Amino acid sequence: AQTTVDKASLLQYVKFQSRNFENILIWGGGPDSTPDTVYSVEYKRYGDKVWLAKAGCQRTTQKSCNLTMETGNLTELYYAKVTAVGPGRKQDLKETERFSSLQHTTIKPPDVTCIPKVRSIQMLIYPTLTPIRSENGHQLTLEEIFRDLFYRLELRVNHSYQTHLEGKQREYEFLGLTPDTEFLGAITILAPMWSKESTPYVCRVKTLPDRTW
Amino acid sequence: EFRFGPCRVEGVVLSELWEAFWAVKNTLQTQDNITSVQLLKPQVLQDVSDAESCYLVHSLLKFYLNTVFKNYHNKIAKVKILKSFSSLANNFIVIVSKLQPSKEKDMLSISERAHRRFLLFRRTFKQMGTEAALVKAVGEVDILLTWMQKFYQL
Amino acid sequence: LTGGVAVLPAPQNLTVLSINMKHLLMWNPVAQPREPVLYSVEYQGEYESLYMSHIWIPSSRCSPTNSLECDVTDDITATVPYNFRVRALLGSQTSAWSTLERPFNRNSTVLMAPRMEVTEHGLHLVVKLEDPGPQFEFLVVYWRREPGATEHVKVVKSRDTPVHIETMEPGAMYCVKAQAWVKAIGRHSTFSQTQCVEMQGEPL
Repeated sequence: AQTTVDKASLLQYVKFQSRNFENILIWGGGPDSTPDTVYSVEYKRYGDKVWLAKAGCQRTTQKSCNLTMETGNLTELYYAKVTAVGPGRKQDLKETERFSSLQHTTIKPPDVTCIPKVRSIQMLIYPTLTPIRSENGHQLTLEEIFRDLFYRLELRVNHSYQTHLEGKQREYEFLGLTPDTEFLGAITILAPMWSKESTPYVCRVKTLPDRTW
Repeated sequence: EFRFGPCRVEGVVLSELWEAFWAVKNTLQTQDNITSVQLLKPQVLQDVSDAESCYLVHSLLKFYLNTVFKNYHNKIAKVKILKSFSSLANNFIVIVSKLQPSKEKDMLSISERAHRRFLLFRRTFKQMGTEAALVKAVGEVDILLTWMQKFYQL
Repeated sequence: LTGGVAVLPAPQNLTVLSINMKHLLMWNPVAQPREPVLYSVEYQGEYESLYMSHIWIPSSRCSPTNSLECDVTDDITATVPYNFRVRALLGSQTSAWSTLERPFNRNSTVLMAPRMEVTEHGLHLVVKLEDPGPQFEFLVVYWRREPGATEHVKVVKSRDTPVHIETMEPGAMYCVKAQAWVKAIGRHSTFSQTQCVEMQGEPL
């Protein structure tokens, strides 16, 4: 028997949200959606004919789905779509724009340890691992993905002045500082070729008192 | 600067090209509803050797200048798209004008390999209707830029 | 007059003044007693003039404008020759187009030596450079003032924030000069005046 389906507004938007190549599909319920509306996710590579159902995101009431593993090839582009089914055979379907994680991902603040000494502050930046794997299965860091990646470190010395270091290495030290004084550090990751810049990691740190007198 | 094997190209700022494309990306790509076909497919751009790259980028950019941009132009309604195309096209002219693919005999096999890749791209283009192919080609400029970026030295 | 109808004259003497990659198109006013005259600016890159010469693109900032100049920096996004044309608008009247005599290429821009401020803070040699725009990087050359001194070079991208160049030895004199570099046109400016500072030796 032929069952008729009512086109309804159960979906507002469907889009990828990507941070450090963690690619999450998110969607918003439309005006006709209700708490028991269920959603099913499919995805495919641009250029492929067949859509693939994402296991774990079928007939779910959730409004997000982790597609990181399915969209992990940096040179490929992807589409995803969500089918929503509501009470009374109501149905709606929306598709994402063409998604490229290289173009779309944003960079999270770096992981940093700020170490105060008497007349200096040392800053150690840890590499950021991503879910992306190379052909031999090695997990890639942001530095390996973005060849031009560098770090910018700013130290606010007092209200009117800040000093600044930048480079590709991971260890830095601001020297010649006043003992027993508070400083504000801000460390940012930049990948200029892709016009990407993270929000800063901020550390508030006080140099040690000088006990040599 | 770009280094496509022996071919060097200065005076092009890659971020200017990206900015021009990103300004119109969604407008262009949503016009292409044939998502099951890709012109610049992996067989065209993957594992291109440095030596091949100069020949291939020269062929692709000339095709975009002579065929894609030229014929897509009369479909452009919005000034914003006109500006983006102008920026892309004029920077492609700078690149093409500075590429000097070698015509040496010993490079023949390499240039033929690059030409086969280009023919694969053009065959897919021709198999589609002209309108649909033009829309798809302009929507794939990001695939082209992503590949070219591998040869960009800061 | 043409057929008894007053014809609005076209603007004359179009020129481009380009300094530090800021490009200003200028022209002479069209004298009209009663009402203010507006002007409309359009441009064409080498691609348009080669492949589709009928295509002119309205300028981002001056379509139209009541000024006698137009900042066309945002319109020029490639290092190729650009044509510009301007016409006058008065009510319903429009003048003929007046076109720049010779196309303009941004590689002819005048690059000024960067304005630089050198200070010392405790043991830090710190340089602050003006920010002429996103296209600019700076080559900072510094040395300790002593016989047979060695010059050191640092490339600086950040602008408008003081940059820590080096940590110095107390009591020594250090000198700095800088030049601007523009990747898009592959050219650099002349060096700035050399500035020297003495390290006081007290920490910040």
